[in-house]
Amino acid sequence: MKRRLQAVLIAAALRLVHAALVELQELDPAVAEELRRLPVGISYAIYAGYCGPSLLVRWDGERLSRISDTSHPVKNTLRFKALAIAFRLFTGQIGLAHAYAQHAFTLSGDIADVMRLARLVNRAEVHLFPSIVTRCILPEQPGPAVSPLRIYARIFYGFLKSAY
Amino acid sequence: MTPAYFEFQNAVKLLCGQNALDRIPDELRHLKAEHPLLLTDALLLRLGIVSAVQDIMVAEGCAPAAVYTDIPVDSSLGAVNRIAMVYRESGCDSIVAVGGGSVIDSAKGARLVLSQESDDILSIGGIENLHCGRHIPFIVVPTTAGTGSECTGVAVIRNEQQGVKMEFLSPFVEPDVAVLDARMTLRLPARATASTGIDALCHAIEAATCLQSNPLSSAYCSAAIRLICANVIEAVQHGSNADARLCMAMAATMAGIAFSNSMVGAVHAIGHALGGVCHVAHAEAMGILLPHVLRYNLPAAAEGYAQLLPEMVGWEPAAATPPAERGKAMVQAVEDLLALLHAKAGIPLRLSEVGVNEQQIPRIAETALNDGALIVNPRPMLAQQVADLLHGAL
Repeated sequence: MKRRLQAVLIAAALRLVHAALVELQELDPAVAEELRRLPVGISYAIYAGYCGPSLLVRWDGERLSRISDTSHPVKNTLRFKALAIAFRLFTGQIGLAHAYAQHAFTLSGDIADVMRLARLVNRAEVHLFPSIVTRCILPEQPGPAVSPLRIYARIFYGFLKSAY
Repeated sequence: MTPAYFEFQNAVKLLCGQNALDRIPDELRHLKAEHPLLLTDALLLRLGIVSAVQDIMVAEGCAPAAVYTDIPVDSSLGAVNRIAMVYRESGCDSIVAVGGGSVIDSAKGARLVLSQESDDILSIGGIENLHCGRHIPFIVVPTTAGTGSECTGVAVIRNEQQGVKMEFLSPFVEPDVAVLDARMTLRLPARATASTGIDALCHAIEAATCLQSNPLSSAYCSAAIRLICANVIEAVQHGSNADARLCMAMAATMAGIAFSNSMVGAVHAIGHALGGVCHVAHAEAMGILLPHVLRYNLPAAAEGYAQLLPEMVGWEPAAATPPAERGKAMVQAVEDLLALLHAKAGIPLRLSEVGVNEQQIPRIAETALNDGALIVNPRPMLAQQVADLLHGAL
């Protein structure tokens, strides 16, 4: 039961991170710049364990689109070694740097490309988590470009429109 | 502080000291290897340093099936793929690598390609993502005392097209056997001795203080720093001192084991970028960047640096330093050592001395930002901070 609940929450968190990045492309210059520098056509996958939820995205030069077919071949993958570890990251208990330091995931593909993804996830977390959490788990960086309330409102509206 | 979780692995058998080289044929037999590919570079071959290994192999009935020497400084993806091709075409069944970091990392890359039954190292990039693959017996004989690559689970290989150094991290790149024999470093010039020694020091300091540091790797770091500080000047001034040479080799290996299990930090992230963009020799980049990064990290890593002070300067001077000053004193001790090696061996202390100019800084900073080592630096760095640091080191 606990594992199933963790999987549901991680799946929701992954969708939230993706939605936040789509919105932040317009609102946060740091995210817009990072996306602009991505090679067109690059794809990323995040897997929570071997049987847990996943997020696959592709940058087409204008938008970070979600790939719904989870069997789609993806160049850069980040796979958490266990669902429980992914749960700690997506609930703000540890940051990506500490997860890396704890051998929490494996990476396939070009490490430089995955570093770009890591910075994007960090920016999404800056906007999604309260500052008291981000101060503990994220590297020091500029604060949110817009208020978290605004982001959540836009994401809520986006989900209503099935925009992600 | 004990980390919430850590991993530690080192499965490399170490042959260290007198007649270590002479035992290579025996090790090859234990590994069921009969047709080794001997990898080295043209300079080492010309200097006759490789013959010490090759002659023993021939005399003991383990003559190399092929010898490959076309390995560029900093290695290259192309060289790695070519080595794998030569291995297959020559019917080899094992690899013996004799050289510095470029040769060893090229050998690791080629072994990875072979064991994963691939044709292209780029297709198997990543971190801890590979299965064990086919076992290719692999013996490494370092000819410098710095990289520690003989005992690490990482290969750093230059992507010549993109002008970046790529890291391939997997426990399956660790060699089976590493051979430390003072004969291999006795003729290393003073400047190379000094700069590779500082590379090892840098490994130990970064491994002890980065986010991935753990108690086991820290023990190796402390021992490595102690050995380096006690022997590097002697090895520079009296290169024929075999004992000092072996101590430096051991220190480099220990620092390698340490950083293989706890990673490094910003010195390496920026150093890799300097190598990729400007072709600055890795060890010299380490010496130039180290004090600047240590000063930058001080607000976040003072306690970790303070713990290394006794290894740098000895217990009594460390104890006489007020606790609050020990972190800063450790950084000062590193700067003093670098200044001494600059005076005695001519190692560069500024980026301008190795041909880096202001116009290259934005590209170096951007490349460094995408290096995996930056993620575990004790104090985070953004592009602007990397650029500021580079300006300071110019």
